[in-house]
Amino acid sequence: MKEIIHEAVQKNRKALSEFDSKRVIAMAGVAVTREMLVRTKDEAIGAAREIGFPVVLKGCSAELTHKTEYGMVKVGLHTQEEVALAFGDLMSKGMELDGILVQEMVDGERQFVIGLSRDPQFGPCVMFGLGGIFTEVLRDVSFRVAPITENDALEMIDEIRTKDILGAFRGSPAVDRNILAKALVGVGNLGVEIEEIAEIDINPLIVTDDRPIAVDALVILRNPSVS
Amino acid sequence: MKDLNKLFYPESVAVIGASENILKWGSIIISNILDGGFEGKVFPVSTKNDIVYGRKASKTLKEIGEPVDLLIITTPANTVMGILRECVETGIKNVLIVSSGFSEAGEDGKSLENEMRDFALDNGINIIGPNTMGMANFKTKFLGMNPFVRLNPGGISLMAQSGNVGNQIMYWAEQQSIGMSKFVGSGNEAVLMCEDYLDYFNRDEDTSVIIMYIEGVDNGRSFMEAARRTTRRKPIVVLKGGRTDIGSKAAMSHTGSMAGSIRIFASAMEQSGVSLVETQAEMLTLASAFDAMPLPKGNRIGVVTLGGGWGVITADECEERGLVLPPLPGNVKDRLGQMLPSFWSKGNPVDLVGQPDPNLFRESIEAMISSDAYDAVILLGVINAFKTVLRFYSASVRLGKKSEINLDQLEHQLDRMQNVFLDDISKLMDTYDKPIYPVALISQTDQPIVYWPKENRKYGAMIFKTPEEAVSCLAKQYRYSQYLQRHGRE
Repeated sequence: MKEIIHEAVQKNRKALSEFDSKRVIAMAGVAVTREMLVRTKDEAIGAAREIGFPVVLKGCSAELTHKTEYGMVKVGLHTQEEVALAFGDLMSKGMELDGILVQEMVDGERQFVIGLSRDPQFGPCVMFGLGGIFTEVLRDVSFRVAPITENDALEMIDEIRTKDILGAFRGSPAVDRNILAKALVGVGNLGVEIEEIAEIDINPLIVTDDRPIAVDALVILRNPSVS
Repeated sequence: MKDLNKLFYPESVAVIGASENILKWGSIIISNILDGGFEGKVFPVSTKNDIVYGRKASKTLKEIGEPVDLLIITTPANTVMGILRECVETGIKNVLIVSSGFSEAGEDGKSLENEMRDFALDNGINIIGPNTMGMANFKTKFLGMNPFVRLNPGGISLMAQSGNVGNQIMYWAEQQSIGMSKFVGSGNEAVLMCEDYLDYFNRDEDTSVIIMYIEGVDNGRSFMEAARRTTRRKPIVVLKGGRTDIGSKAAMSHTGSMAGSIRIFASAMEQSGVSLVETQAEMLTLASAFDAMPLPKGNRIGVVTLGGGWGVITADECEERGLVLPPLPGNVKDRLGQMLPSFWSKGNPVDLVGQPDPNLFRESIEAMISSDAYDAVILLGVINAFKTVLRFYSASVRLGKKSEINLDQLEHQLDRMQNVFLDDISKLMDTYDKPIYPVALISQTDQPIVYWPKENRKYGAMIFKTPEEAVSCLAKQYRYSQYLQRHGRE
């Protein structure tokens, strides 16, 4: 994990790509989507078959922090033909990419966010809240100063106003809070242990059945010796 | 950890810049010390005045010729470095600098403050301030500060990063007869910082509750550690100034844009077992509650009320703050049924349907507080209820009714009855080690907020002004109690 980060910092990168961001948070204990980074159309089709349809294709690059805005996300691809078409489309945008990310499509109505930020006085802080595209409008989030215990994590989960959707909801079972809590503890530890990580956004974290899975993630870097 | 004992318990004090010009700090401080009843030695130091308030003034520190536990400087900023050098020569280790003109006053002031800090740290001198309203110890009646309050000694110690906020809090405390232990205005915190005071109050045996007005902390982590060490031993109540929530402008992530400083501060306090309040008035009330009453061990509340409406309001407040009102257990219901009129509520809240009989209240409270089903009892409407009777009488007298009754005497008599009632409340808290929250029917801002029993008992009876105030206090005390259950009490 440290290698991924040191390499990016040395290359003067401001952030990790989605693929690398997820590798880092996965090692910290956050469940992420099954996904593969590919460079050719055939690889993309092979990956989609291995992961299982439907899949999502995303342009993947450390420079690309707002994929949706640039039309670099193609969702709901059910066939090899659709994957091939989407692959061509993404490659034709003329952006410099590490490759194309082929990803399992995770479905679920409940979306959360986990984040990490650094406060000038208190240092690394973990955030939990309601995720999805309205996160910043609703601002239904809670914070804790890292490192946190699982008990702290369970408390902050219960602090959001919309905590009721963590219970059994519209035919889905209650969210497994212990998995969420472990993810929060892990993200907090990343902030404490890895100085080079400035901020993290894991949004959305989608719940299928009772399990939360990170569908998108962004690790923002800093050079501690400079700042 | 710094030894601040002499600083807070000085037996001898010198004031530099002492004068009788009543609007100047040199007079304000020394007259407050002399008039406040301090029994230690007081040495005025002045180059201009030979006598200050009947005492011979020394020209220099050396001239005093006796040990000085605390030196208070009221002369301009540019004199301070010279005075500190004299402190080294005369062995003075504790200094309070009232003077302004340091880091709050531009670049020159900032470099002067840095020079002063380095000098103080090199020579092991403790400094309160600069730019502070002073400090006080109400037990030894040492009032080295601006506010001319005369508080009873109590368990609450106050640290304020703003002198005027501290000032106002202490005048309110005086108005409501709230006893305090110590006050310190931390000023610019050049040498002693808020976590130093926190650590000191933590170890100070005369302090049972710590209240702090904080605008900012330099090192959040070390403040948090100091708070965590302290809350396992005694409660801390913090009022944070500057609550406007703006996210960090430099943030690149969505998380960063939502991480406003007050949110993080509040979370850090929550993690450290600190109780946050929104207003100065709330700060004093909650601190008094911590000081006077046992902590609720759980969130199951019994309510005894003089009328139905208050019970409803209180039940709503409890519900919104995570407190529950369990139904009456059979044995409690039987016990209450035997003494109440047949039309009583038969549920929790226990509605005494307008019977302001103190005995009935006392019996009902005991029936509730003695039951394993409840962790705390809220009592609505009997306190100060007699004041309405006084108004009935005075109106009838104004309307020409001839009355034999002397209103002053009647008020006095009713006051005594109320004190007997409050005494019983304190006794019940002692017996069952559970808190009782009495709310006044007519609240008075100049009434003592705590009735302390004459006998040597652990707990005093509070008088809350509104049901909201009582429930809010209860909820915050319960939260602290939960924190202690999780983290262990020392």
